[in-house]
Amino acid sequence: MSGHEFHPLVKQLLDGDITLADLPAELRAEGEEALRLLARVARTDVTMPAVTWRVMAALERRRRRFLPWLLAPALAAAAVLVLWLRPGSPPPSAPVVTVRFVLVAPEARQVSLAGTFNQWDSHATPLVRTGPTGVWTATLTLPAGQHQYAFVVDGVRWVPDPGAPAVDDGFGRRNSVLTL
Amino acid sequence: MIALLAIPLTVLSMQQAADSAIAQRLAGRVPPQIASLVEDLGTAAAAHGLPIDPLIQKAIEGSAKGVPPDRVATALRVVAMHLDTAATALRDGGLPSDTLAIAAGEFAISAGLSGSDITALARTGANAAALTVGLRVAGTLAALGVPPAEDIGLVSVELRAGEPASTLLLLPANVQAEMAKGATAAQAAAGLARAAAAQARHGPPPGRGQGHPPPPHPPHPPAPAPHP
Repeated sequence: MSGHEFHPLVKQLLDGDITLADLPAELRAEGEEALRLLARVARTDVTMPAVTWRVMAALERRRRRFLPWLLAPALAAAAVLVLWLRPGSPPPSAPVVTVRFVLVAPEARQVSLAGTFNQWDSHATPLVRTGPTGVWTATLTLPAGQHQYAFVVDGVRWVPDPGAPAVDDGFGRRNSVLTL
Repeated sequence: MIALLAIPLTVLSMQQAADSAIAQRLAGRVPPQIASLVEDLGTAAAAHGLPIDPLIQKAIEGSAKGVPPDRVATALRVVAMHLDTAATALRDGGLPSDTLAIAAGEFAISAGLSGSDITALARTGANAAALTVGLRVAGTLAALGVPPAEDIGLVSVELRAGEPASTLLLLPANVQAEMAKGATAAQAAAGLARAAAAQARHGPPPGRGQGHPPPPHPPHPPAPAPHP
């Protein structure tokens, strides 16, 4: 069909401007041939599935190639978040309770409190001697939960609270237990 | 291929984050060999969904008390074993992995309860938060000298009744109050369990609303009392 040039009236027929009956008799055969060609073209699938498939497959490969690189940092960030949220520090809204610790130790020169709430730091929470009777006290605000502790007398002697339940500390001594 | 690398990289990044968190908390507090052991045990524990805080706390405690490193190492391995036992016991009781409940179970075991005691509490059907409090209270009662049977009996009754945490937390003080009047720890816990069970059957005493009954004796304040 390439290079074929229809008569202008046949072109009008193809455009739908006139009908086959409007053509002169000598052009009707050419008009019928043109209409047959047009019908054949109309039935032909003009899409290019092979090309489309290749383009889409390439795009999919590219997407899959980048997915792990996007996914890995996202998973790592989620993992870090989970680790940060692990128990160890109470949640920000955890209720707190004020607790007064008391030890009677008339002979002591200094008494402090060490436990899970102050990383067992024997210098962090000193008790104050109240009066001449040897009563040592400290008042702390602690998060609700469970705490283990001991008094440290004169910086060297770890003493469980005689008024509180106690558990084995795993080192041959006892820790006092406070459940709030 | 890259997708296959992504998972190990993610796991590696998680382990590094866990190691880093442990190293940060132990920095300057424990000898290097203890820090290294805690990182090993902590990484393994985290991989199994266990909490790492009890390990860190035990390492810090041991070093603060001047305990020799080999003895701290032994204590750390015991804690790791208790965590594993607690997690298994909770799973057997139908509770999915919950690090707070596992840590509370570890405390209960260190106080003298067993894995089967923990499973029994988990089978009360209490949710994870209530069970965590229940395990802490059960451990505290064990530390007071309450035998496991009476201990689990009392805490189970309270958990089944759906008592709030505030009521559960009063149990040790109530037991101490009974003991101060001359009861043994077992008698005190058994008496409180009978009272709680009766109340669960018959409801609150006349004249009281649907709220919780008063404890048998005025509760002690949470602060330990001085002793002469």
